Amino acid sequence: MFLHNLKYELKLVFRAKDFILWMMLFPIFLGTLFKVAFGSIYANNEMFNTIPVAVVQTSENEVFAGMLTALTEGEEPALKATVTDDETARKMLFDGEVTGIVYVGETVELSVSGKGMSQTVLQEIISQCNLYETVIRDAIATDPASVQSAIQALSAEVKVCREVSSNADNTDVYVQYFYNLIAMVAICGNMTGLHIATDNQANQSTLGARKNCSATPKRVNLLAGLAGSYIAQSACMILCVTFLRFVLGIHFGGNMLLLYFAAILSGFLGVTMGFFVGCAGRMKQDIKEAISMTVSMGLCFLSGLMMGNMKGILAEHAPWVNRVNPVAIMSDSFYCLNMYSDYRRFITKIVGMLIYIVLFATLGVVLSRRKKYASI
Amino acid sequence: MKPTVVKIDNLVKRYGELVALDHFSLEIKEGEIFGLLGPNGSGKTTTINCLLSLLTYDKGEIEVFGQEMKPTSYDIKGEIGVIMQNVAVLDELTVRENIDYFCGLYITDKEKRKACVEDAIRFVGLEDFVKFRPQKLSGGLLRRLNIACGIAHKPKLIILDEPTVAVDPQSRNRILEGIQELNRQGATIIYTSHYMEEVEQICTRIAIMDKGRKIAEGTKDELKGMIRNTESVSIEILDLPDNVREKIASLPHVYETEYDGTKLMVRCTGGRHNLIRILAVLQEAELGFGRVFSELPTLNDVFLEITGTALRDSKE
Repeated sequence: MFLHNLKYELKLVFRAKDFILWMMLFPIFLGTLFKVAFGSIYANNEMFNTIPVAVVQTSENEVFAGMLTALTEGEEPALKATVTDDETARKMLFDGEVTGIVYVGETVELSVSGKGMSQTVLQEIISQCNLYETVIRDAIATDPASVQSAIQALSAEVKVCREVSSNADNTDVYVQYFYNLIAMVAICGNMTGLHIATDNQANQSTLGARKNCSATPKRVNLLAGLAGSYIAQSACMILCVTFLRFVLGIHFGGNMLLLYFAAILSGFLGVTMGFFVGCAGRMKQDIKEAISMTVSMGLCFLSGLMMGNMKGILAEHAPWVNRVNPVAIMSDSFYCLNMYSDYRRFITKIVGMLIYIVLFATLGVVLSRRKKYASI
Repeated sequence: MKPTVVKIDNLVKRYGELVALDHFSLEIKEGEIFGLLGPNGSGKTTTINCLLSLLTYDKGEIEVFGQEMKPTSYDIKGEIGVIMQNVAVLDELTVRENIDYFCGLYITDKEKRKACVEDAIRFVGLEDFVKFRPQKLSGGLLRRLNIACGIAHKPKLIILDEPTVAVDPQSRNRILEGIQELNRQGATIIYTSHYMEEVEQICTRIAIMDKGRKIAEGTKDELKGMIRNTESVSIEILDLPDNVREKIASLPHVYETEYDGTKLMVRCTGGRHNLIRILAVLQEAELGFGRVFSELPTLNDVFLEITGTALRDSKE
């Protein structure tokens, strides 16, 4: 009877238009939208790329030449310099091949043709170069012995990257949206879980009444329904993560197997939460659906689906919300997996999810154990 | 003597202050088509839900096939088929899949189940619609599917709760014939309805309910025998003088007359040739009249005479 129920549960779920639309197609659409909307903003404004510049030398400047060499070396150099004449440089700038033209003479000057992150960074680099050059020239002129110590002092100050601590407050807003999208798919599984509960309770639906009259024990119907929902939800989670990672190319870190595991477990949590809501109370199915949808969207909002820095705001003013919000726990588990080399924090989030799953499943089963109803 | 299939003893069910079932008792024998007749809100569906152990009740005992009916009586439930008032099928499954799904809640053996499903499809006449989904079916076909889902496992006791609500006449007749066929095949039937004609047509024994109480029980002839009315004569007539009406009222076996200005209604108890005697009075007074009807008493008359009100719902 279990397998018979499971077979039809899977047929029901995968033929349900709402399920296909909201659990499979909508995340793909939303993910693509995120990629298109935020991806270009991120690439333009947040992600640092090597800046192409044209260098026009009007006279020899050994100090800047040394700096330029330093700035164009390494795996991810700050600048990509093309030494050329003024006319070619202007053409390159006009054609957009370079971000700016650096004129190197007694002083170093910059010419750009627009505004943006690259131009600002370039301006900052040239300003710094001019400053250092002045300091070093002054040191050579006044006290040649102090040149070495001046260079050391400047080297200590010049840092291309700012060191940041690895904690949840420092979230990468861009990727965080995709973590929250995966978490949203997971929490939306509550609708399938809710239907398992209502479809098996005589006071919630005619279908429930019919099933309660049958020779199949209620627990078998419930378990088969839950198993079917878990399988269907897992398929949705795998599809969502696979699409984001391999089609949209979102970088979730190296350990994809653990990411799939966390996503599937999140899906289980979503389904089980819906199952609990479906079992609790005597409200009509429509009301339960409305409550479930509202709660899940509220949790998504608090986890930052609609506002990327929401978790940061909550961490500052009400940190406990992030600790109890199931959606935040889900998205944090993906984040931890990407950000931290050890799995301590990841395991903490996984344990948090397991606790919720056990809690909701136990409460749901206890509440649905009623065999008779006061009214139908 | 045939064994008792269902025994309900002194059942009381309250919804807060409202008494839905008031010391209701019933005994149904094997092979009967037992009708529960009553207006909406009389307690028919509550009785069925208590019988199926879906509802709690405040007092009383229920036995099915000689055993106490409990929510975990799965062996008893396996012998019961239920057709609910509201259609309960799955929209995402085809007709055949729906029947197979519900049949599978009772029968685990695949081969046996397959045969049962095919039998059920043939029985309700849905052979041409097996691949259709419920949304594509008309109201009547949907009701037939609902019935097929309830009877596919060949139960010994079939409970039909108002199965013909909002069904076209053709499907209604097919459903009623089907119920009689199931009974001929050996099933005991409990049929609830507020359509007295249907109950009268197919039920071998009837209990009339009102306000949670059983007000009468018996075969249709026994029920009709409980009341005075044996014949109702209605005559279309204009300007009926009072003296003529009084003369009709004084005829033997006439116990009630009603006149609304266009139609004279005469109710008789027992006797023969009532119609001839009434028409003779009108001819003697040289009064012209229109159409004349003579009707035997219906269950509505039974209900009317016992409760003082007509069955509140007429056939749709």
